[in-house]
Amino acid sequence: MTERGRSRLGTGQVCLLLGALLIVAAVASACIGAFTFTPGQVAHYLAQGLGWQAIPVGGNELGRRVFLELRLPRVILAGVTGAVLGVSGTLMQGLFRNPIVEPGLAGTSAGAALGAALVFVFGERTTLAFTAPLGSFAVPALAFAGGFVATMLVYRLSVSFGKVDVFTLLLAGIAVNAVCGAGTGFLSYVARDPQARNITFWNLGTFTTAEWHGVTLVTVCFAAGFAWCMRYGKALNALMLGEAEAGYLGIDTRRLTLMLLVVNTLMVAVATAMVGVIAFIGLVVPHVLRMLKSSDYTFLLPASALLGAVVMEVIDIVARVLIPPAELPIGIITAVIGAPVFLWILMRQRRGLSGFYG
Amino acid sequence: MVELRDISFVVGNKRILDGVNAELGERRFNVILGPNGAGKSTLLKIATGMSRPTSGVVRYAGVDVTTLGKERLATTRAVLSQHVELAFALPAEDVVMMGRYPHYGRAPSPRDREIVGRALEIVGMSDRRAQPYPTLSGGERQKVQLARVLAQIWNYDEPRIPKYLFLDEPTSSLDIHYQIHLLDVARGLLDFDCTVVAILHDVNVALHYGDYFLLLSEGRVAAATDSGGITRELLERVFRVRAHRVLDPEAGEQLWRFTL
Repeated sequence: MTERGRSRLGTGQVCLLLGALLIVAAVASACIGAFTFTPGQVAHYLAQGLGWQAIPVGGNELGRRVFLELRLPRVILAGVTGAVLGVSGTLMQGLFRNPIVEPGLAGTSAGAALGAALVFVFGERTTLAFTAPLGSFAVPALAFAGGFVATMLVYRLSVSFGKVDVFTLLLAGIAVNAVCGAGTGFLSYVARDPQARNITFWNLGTFTTAEWHGVTLVTVCFAAGFAWCMRYGKALNALMLGEAEAGYLGIDTRRLTLMLLVVNTLMVAVATAMVGVIAFIGLVVPHVLRMLKSSDYTFLLPASALLGAVVMEVIDIVARVLIPPAELPIGIITAVIGAPVFLWILMRQRRGLSGFYG
Repeated sequence: MVELRDISFVVGNKRILDGVNAELGERRFNVILGPNGAGKSTLLKIATGMSRPTSGVVRYAGVDVTTLGKERLATTRAVLSQHVELAFALPAEDVVMMGRYPHYGRAPSPRDREIVGRALEIVGMSDRRAQPYPTLSGGERQKVQLARVLAQIWNYDEPRIPKYLFLDEPTSSLDIHYQIHLLDVARGLLDFDCTVVAILHDVNVALHYGDYFLLLSEGRVAAATDSGGITRELLERVFRVRAHRVLDPEAGEQLWRFTL
């Protein structure tokens, strides 16, 4: 029973494999869509975009521009967002010591969405005036504030005496999500029409807003957050023993908790401000990796970034090709896939298995 | 030596510890005894440097614990708790490796792996090293935790550096076999410059393994003595029972039997 279904590959090899998968998925995502590109074209346009290759005179100017200004930022945004959500799920599960937690449940996404929606609706009318909403730092800043308050609230409510109570966690998550959802709903109700439609659509998760400025911001925040949280693999492992035992191993658990909440909220809030609420990726990705290989966080952190990116690229392709020329909101697809997985994990937990993935 | 100087701990207006003084000897098996609510666990938290006393000082070999950094503290002393559950499944050896976390940065050295192997050997869990922790029995889990704390303070490269092992009611959920095994291993550590401080509940077990006894009652030291000072009068007063001496004719050992 020890090794049933577990991969015999080493953790490094699993990460290499996921990296290769990511390249394939990203190239596929770059090729498929309303405009179809061949991998050869993708390579040429990339080289031209990076200035490695001269732009041929009389070449396919429209194709080049569609690729560099629409397709490429979208592919990157989808990948980075997937990585953010995968890593975030891993961090939150480590922090809450529970496999059902993810940014969608813990209120991070909904809180961030509310913060961002506040700026979308009131931004133009107040002193926060700015030209391009996503170009400004007001949206990510308020998204961060909203996400942080919501997550902190859920964490504080569900942890008592160093232990996480699952039922309180679920209830606190429901309550905080409901309040944030109501707030966002109210904002889209009072907003004037084009904005309202945008908020509704954005709230379901979308990559259509991808443009270079926002993509850069999301990517930089992810890179910084990821590099920072990679230091905490061992600490998250030790936290599995409980707060007291982790403390005896020399870990400052209060500091760890705060750092993780800040880093996690930063990554998730900035991505949410850009693409809206995408649930369940943060749940499913670490879950698959735990079953496939190991619950060791020094493995889960990089692997969940890679697998999250792969999954998101695939889902984005599906969203683009399923009902052309329209696009499905990303959040709908992830909910359809993720909700059953969530219920399944919850049932396993209810059956009282003392540990998961054993 | 673990030196406790005038330790008091106050929560609200409740005095949980009141001027506790004790010197727990180097390379000795020190036992903290006392009824429920006497302040044993609070004292252990303070003695391990996990919580700060309201007043008083804890010193290891003369050094104030508050001046030791987190890492230094984590490599000097380890704490084995009652029972430790794991939120996720990790193989037993990964749990033991956590004891080496304060010793290495990114990746464990071959030496760390060797120590984990030796620790598993000492507790007799070498053949179960790959088994997921949650699938082990309660007794086996406690063996793995014992191996983890052994690995944590394992430091043969620097002999003569004092090491401290604190046991917080480590045997309370174990059957007799695992109890004896755990305490035998702990006792064996004294030969490796390790000082043991244990909270135990069974007076006979405590007298069998311990060298020195700190009896707490209502936050104060009722007695700090070697086994000779554990008298009937003392036990009856501290534990509010009647104590009877019985003789184990085979071992020629004095045992205590208690009634209300």
